[in-house]
Amino acid sequence: MTGRTIVITSGKGGVGKTTATANLGTALAMRGQKVVVIDADIGLRNLDVIMGLENRIVYDLVNVIEGKCKMHQAMIRDKHQLELFLIPAAQTRDKDSIEPEQLRELCEKLEQEFDYVLIDCPAGIEGGFKNAIGAAKEAILVTTPEVSAIRDADRVIGLLEASELHRPKLIINRINTELVKRGDMMDKDDIVELLSVEVLGLVPADEHTITAANRGVPVVHDKKAPSGSAFLRIAARVDGDEVPFMSLEPKTSILDRMKGLVGLSGRAYSHA
Amino acid sequence: MREFIKWLVSQLAVAEQHEKTGITAKQRLQLVLIQDRLDLPTDKMESMKQEIWEVVSRYLRVADDFLEFEIRRLDELVVLVSNIQVNDASELVPVSG
Repeated sequence: MTGRTIVITSGKGGVGKTTATANLGTALAMRGQKVVVIDADIGLRNLDVIMGLENRIVYDLVNVIEGKCKMHQAMIRDKHQLELFLIPAAQTRDKDSIEPEQLRELCEKLEQEFDYVLIDCPAGIEGGFKNAIGAAKEAILVTTPEVSAIRDADRVIGLLEASELHRPKLIINRINTELVKRGDMMDKDDIVELLSVEVLGLVPADEHTITAANRGVPVVHDKKAPSGSAFLRIAARVDGDEVPFMSLEPKTSILDRMKGLVGLSGRAYSHA
Repeated sequence: MREFIKWLVSQLAVAEQHEKTGITAKQRLQLVLIQDRLDLPTDKMESMKQEIWEVVSRYLRVADDFLEFEIRRLDELVVLVSNIQVNDASELVPVSG
């Protein structure tokens, strides 16, 4: 087996990298793939709490790399998916604890056993970022439709290219459909025009993501959550399926819907 | 009725004034990303401007400063736009009629 090692990165912090990694990993496992997710954010680990596995950590990424434990000892099996594993970051070490080559060697070993190796990249463009992108052969970029996140995403695209990670794919997270409708948020086409990258998926802003994180159960498990179904579609696209983009319509009032029925409503503003 | 029409007009005016900040964001980013990608600091830009002025002034009598000197987008292209007033020519061309 030769799996795919994919880094999930963003430049700017707080745009939803860790949530995207947890959900993409879970969704791929739900599709029957064997998946390992690696938290490369050494010193600021979080993927474990998002997946609800924080109480099961014995060994971590730095332990494996330093040879203090075997690779399998640091792999925590997910509570819900039998073929999903987490290698957590070390919490009390700093980002210089590992070298890019060491992480790359580990990922190459994992590729022998897994279909997907997903790396949750730390924010920023320093050492931790370089470790994470150095180990990957593909990249997924997460942004929100905000000026600061998009500017940082553009910078990261340049750095990925320089590191031979060509054609990263973009997830646009936390799209507020109401704001897009009134023209107060950039839409998919605006962002594609600015960044010139292929879009992998559009994720609506969704309170379910927050409650899911509170519980430690990735939102893809929640069938009613719009963000969950967005991540399921993203996983299908990563896995090679052709899935049309979901239409991100804001919730409309009864009056609006009646207007729609009689053809009075405005143009469709966005196609997600 | 007159009050109602006044109200309606004022509402329309409000709707007209509403700035679509998504467009503002995109336009600002277009410029910022050009600057970021070029990686051309302000001092380098300034010395380029100075050198270009020196070259032009060897051939023409020109104003002391550029009217315009900036890098911006022109549809799909990124262009350097510079405008400088040529003094000799302005003396030759009648201002009106």
